[in-house]
Amino acid sequence: MTTVTTDARPGGDLLVDSREEQRPATPWVTLVWNDPVNLMSYVARVFRSYFGYAPEEAERLMLLVHHEGRAVVATGAREEMERHTEAMHEYGLWATVQRADA
Amino acid sequence: MSARVRLVAGPDGPALALDLVDRERELLSSLLGQLAELLSDGDDDPAVRRLLPDGYRDDAEAAAEFRRYTRSGLVDHKTGAAEAVVEALRGEGRILLSPAEAERWLPTLTDLRLVLAERLGIRREEDQGEGIVADVYEWLGLLQAGLVAVLDELPLDAVREPGS
Repeated sequence: MTTVTTDARPGGDLLVDSREEQRPATPWVTLVWNDPVNLMSYVARVFRSYFGYAPEEAERLMLLVHHEGRAVVATGAREEMERHTEAMHEYGLWATVQRADA
Repeated sequence: MSARVRLVAGPDGPALALDLVDRERELLSSLLGQLAELLSDGDDDPAVRRLLPDGYRDDAEAAAEFRRYTRSGLVDHKTGAAEAVVEALRGEGRILLSPAEAERWLPTLTDLRLVLAERLGIRREEDQGEGIVADVYEWLGLLQAGLVAVLDELPLDAVREPGS
C-alpha cells in the first residue's frame, strides 16, 4: 500500500537540473585602457591608492596598460566592477566593464 | 613656467609646498573655471566625452544605462574637486597642501590635461601639439608629476582623510 504524504520527496528533486543554479555566476572584470595623456606614475599611484595594490603590482598593471593597451584591474560581481569603473572615471582613467570570458 | 613641489613640515605634519607665480595661479584658476563650465553644458564636446567616457565598450545599451546612473555623480565629483583647487589657489604666496589635499588635486589636473589633449589633437604618445596650449599642457604634466613624486615618498596612510 502506498501512502501519499505532502512531505518532501525522499529523493529530493533528483530529476531537476540544478547545474545552472549551482554554477558560480560568470565573473565580470574592470578593464583600464591606455591613453596618451595620463602619466605612468599617476596611473600606478591610482592603482595603489584606490585598489590597495602593493607598489610592485601597481607598477606591473600600469606597464601592462601601457604596453598591451589595457589590463584587467579587478574581477568580481558586475555591480562591484561598475563601481570600480565609475571610480576610475573619477580619476580620469578610461575604464570599462565586461564579462570575464568576453 | 616651472612646477616646483617640495615636501615641507607643515603645521599638522608633512605638507606639499607649491610655489606658483601669480600668472600661473591665474591661468590654473581660469582653466578650472572653464572645466566646470564644460562639464555643466558640453555634452556634445569630444573632450567631455573623454571626461565622462562609456563604461561598456561593445554594448551600447549597457553603456547608456551606466551613463544614466553615473553621469550626474561624476559631474558633481569633478566639479567639486575643481572648485577645491580654485579655493586653494586664492590668496598669495606659497601654497601649502596636506597630503590628502594634494592627492585630490591629481584627478583634476588629469581632467584639465585630457581636455587640452583633445584640443591639441593628441591621439598617440608621440603627439605633442604646439604653441601656448601645448606649453600649458606640458606644465600641468610637470605639476602633476611633481605632486605624485612627493606623494609617493609618503606612506599611503598619510593621504587618507582623517577618520577614514
